Amino acid sequence: MALVPAWLRRWHRQWLARRMPASRSQRLTQKRIFILPTGYGLFFLLIAALLFLGGINYENNLIMALSFLMVSLFMVAILHTFRNLAGLLVRAGRMLPGHAGAEGALELVLHADDRHPHLSLWLHWPQAPREHVSVLPGEEKSVWLQLALPRRGYVRPGRLVIESRYPLGLVRAWSQLDMAHPCLAWPRAVPSEQRPATGGEADAAQRTRQLAGSDEFHGLRRYQSGDPPRLVDWKAYARGRGLHSKEFVDPAEGWLWLDWHTMPGVDAETRLSRLAWWVLRLAESNQRYGLILPGGTLPPGQGPEQQRQALDMLALHGQPAEEQF
Amino acid sequence: MARVYQVPHHAFGWLVAGTALAALPHLLHGPFWLQALLPLAVAGRLVMQRGRLSVPGRGLRVLLLGGVLLGTLYSHGTVLGPEAGTCLLVGAFALKLLEMVRLRDAYVLLVLGYFVLATSFLFYQGPLAAAYSLLVLLCLTAALPGINRPEAGLRSAVHGRLAAVMLLQALPLMILLFVLVPRVGPLWSLEFNQQRARTGMSDSMAPGEVSNLSQSTELAFRAEFHGAVPPPAQRYWRGLTYSWFDGRRWSQARPRDLPQRDYVWFAERAGTPPDWAVDLLAAREQGPELAYRYRVVQEPSRRNWLYTLAVPFADDRSLGLVRDMRLVSQQELEQRFAYSVTSYPGLAGQIPLADGERAFMLQLPEGFNPRARTMARQWRDQAASPQAYAQRLLNWFREEPFYYTLQPALLGEHSVDEFLFDSRRGFCEHYASAFVFMMRAAGVPARVVAGYQGGDLNPLGNHLSVHQYHAHAWAEIWLEGHGWVEVDPTAAVAPARIEQGLEMALEASDFSLLRRAGDRVPGLRQLRQQLDYLQFAWQKWVLSYDQTQQMSLLQRWFGRASLMTTGLLLALGAVLIVLVLALWVLLRHRAPGRTALQREYRAMLRLLRRRGVAVSEALPPRKLAGQVRQQWPAAAALVEQWARLYEHSTYAKAPGGANVTGDTKAPGIRRPKRALRQLRRRLRWVRGPGAARTVQDAS
Repeated sequence: MALVPAWLRRWHRQWLARRMPASRSQRLTQKRIFILPTGYGLFFLLIAALLFLGGINYENNLIMALSFLMVSLFMVAILHTFRNLAGLLVRAGRMLPGHAGAEGALELVLHADDRHPHLSLWLHWPQAPREHVSVLPGEEKSVWLQLALPRRGYVRPGRLVIESRYPLGLVRAWSQLDMAHPCLAWPRAVPSEQRPATGGEADAAQRTRQLAGSDEFHGLRRYQSGDPPRLVDWKAYARGRGLHSKEFVDPAEGWLWLDWHTMPGVDAETRLSRLAWWVLRLAESNQRYGLILPGGTLPPGQGPEQQRQALDMLALHGQPAEEQF
Repeated sequence: MARVYQVPHHAFGWLVAGTALAALPHLLHGPFWLQALLPLAVAGRLVMQRGRLSVPGRGLRVLLLGGVLLGTLYSHGTVLGPEAGTCLLVGAFALKLLEMVRLRDAYVLLVLGYFVLATSFLFYQGPLAAAYSLLVLLCLTAALPGINRPEAGLRSAVHGRLAAVMLLQALPLMILLFVLVPRVGPLWSLEFNQQRARTGMSDSMAPGEVSNLSQSTELAFRAEFHGAVPPPAQRYWRGLTYSWFDGRRWSQARPRDLPQRDYVWFAERAGTPPDWAVDLLAAREQGPELAYRYRVVQEPSRRNWLYTLAVPFADDRSLGLVRDMRLVSQQELEQRFAYSVTSYPGLAGQIPLADGERAFMLQLPEGFNPRARTMARQWRDQAASPQAYAQRLLNWFREEPFYYTLQPALLGEHSVDEFLFDSRRGFCEHYASAFVFMMRAAGVPARVVAGYQGGDLNPLGNHLSVHQYHAHAWAEIWLEGHGWVEVDPTAAVAPARIEQGLEMALEASDFSLLRRAGDRVPGLRQLRQQLDYLQFAWQKWVLSYDQTQQMSLLQRWFGRASLMTTGLLLALGAVLIVLVLALWVLLRHRAPGRTALQREYRAMLRLLRRRGVAVSEALPPRKLAGQVRQQWPAAAALVEQWARLYEHSTYAKAPGGANVTGDTKAPGIRRPKRALRQLRRRLRWVRGPGAARTVQDAS
């Protein structure tokens, strides 16, 4: 790769982007499939060429016939390998976020129509381990692909490489799809001695002042991805007021406010990392906590859903709007 | 210790079968160590596949490879050339089976398998060898999809079916390429192993040599006639002439004052043809009445002379026409060789006899055979003409007690004297030799002609198969005003030899020498003719298909033949075939996988609808039977039986179904699917529901 000049690579990328624009669901058509001989294919053709020379020199028609058969078989292999990939529907599926510096995973759903099987496919993101899958006619298979997450926020994995050498291994058919399927990376969790929090038991006054009763309705806020459907205010949505989630507050216990502002003099990423570590820690000990960031506030809660929301919020802090899906 | 690459279970059989079968033909002619190496390698791989043995280390592998190299040197004295080269290749190939440690090695092994298979064609080219190679191709090609599917639990047969389909799809393009790709001559000269024996006539002849040859049933050549086949008595296939006699042995020779370029004429070479060739060509232009047109496919003889009827003109301009009315090739025939010839028997008289040549054709060594010389001189003086003298000699052969036999007496120094006056038992070479001697001794120019006489006509292909047992020697004398005239003294002694073949002419005691007992079984003879025809067709259309044939084929099909047309046809044909293939491959699809029972159900639905019963889709079989009872009462009993059996089979299949104990199969029925099919087929004989409907209408 390093041998290819940068401008050429850029041109190639742009050409791919024009030819195969990003989409979360793509069918592998002729336009999207490339096909070239593999090393073994070239070796196979070399043997066929040698046999042709030998057939001429020994005036041996059977050797020549075998050489022709090998060339023909190669042509047939091109068609079969192409067919093995063609028609496959690839959809972007779910996403499994991870912490920056570790790995996340993205799901791809492969759907074969009723006519053709798609056997021995290999899928991978650029510079990532590959996964093997075979999809039989009418079948739908899901493949989770690991993805290294270098930084916080939404990470675009690059073009999905989906390839097959089936049946003969002499030619490789592949496609490079931009699946518009980013993976969310939470901040790297960095421990800190100081708890970046306010509230807790000390906040009992606020607690009693603010609300009474259990799981009391607190208000509406704009829907955020990851909000559980049961919290969505469907009535308001049906009236055309947009998606909003109901907020409840459980006043029964004390809570902590993990607060961005409690760490003066620390840079933003480190603050997020520390907050992330504390989210994990509080979740582990099953405590209630809320999160205050300059851009928004997560009301207190507990359990996996709360942890997920808190981490997502940290991941998306300060990300440009168009990066948020 | 490297981890062994585990070939997927479903691919392993194909891989081992493909590699072992590809190497197998080489074991038939290979050295003993190779014959041991391959089974050992296969066995080793089998053990490794079970994980009981690790891959040999690098040191051992180098040692083994060195062993193969040394073995090749030991057996062949070299590592170059086809025999030694393939030996080395097969040895290394067998070792590769052992050292397959990665997927890559499996690929290399399989692709090399195609190469090893091809090299077996250097040694075996019959139709059987080709059929065998198709089997090997199937195995090798089936192993490739196998190693390309790492998942477990597949059936091997899937790969075999795919490989068969792909090979079939590759066939049309292969045939196109085979027919149309231009053939060029060898790019560099190759030497086959010199140790291989030459067969057929040799360039000299001593008593007893032709009779030895006659005991061989090997094929010498086949000649396919376009038009009339000459009658048996005129099937004299001239190979070479012997003009030099040293008292015992006749040898091929050329008069000293006749330069080579006056003796042989190659049409393709520059320069004017020699005078005799100019005369012959001129005479040919006048269109002699009798002409035979034929194509000879000659087995490799490692000689450069060809076998034709007199006087031959070859289509192939690289062949030489020799002054003694025969054809020669520029190289010795290492491979089977085909050539098309037109022979004009009437032109034999056109060849002149130069003065120096006359003396040469009268040459006899001094001091041999005094009795024969004396008799020759006496008889010549008494005869009015050379013809009369020759006739008297032939009559003498016929009337005196001369015997035609494969077991002639051993002859001493004066071989002609001893034969003519004492033993009188001889084969064709004895008669030809004695006759030419007597002619020369009487001042008549003469020479011995060697070749084949006769040929077994195969009516299936209108071709003659000429075997070594057709080997023959006869004489030619030069008569003023007639030129060279063919005389066969054997015909005087044993006319049956010429008319009916060797068997008819021999004494009973000779039969044991002929290993052709099969001819007496009538059916076997026919079978042999068919096999012979098959082999000849194979040779003619496949093995010896060359540029000449390619051009004449194009000429016949398209009216023109040039490199341009060939290229154009090749490109067009290839595009067309690939297009059709692409449509086939891309559009062909199998019905989504149904179980055998589902297929049976659909077949029943189809049958009922064809017979005019309106049945709805996706009914349970019993309901289906109910509908049939209403609409086609005659069939109701059968369909109900079918439905019961169907449900039995379905529930027996269901995993953990309620019907696990006891009654899993319908009583007395061991193969329910077959029974279902049979029930369904019986419906065909039931009178259709139409009749019932008319009754209803009437009521």
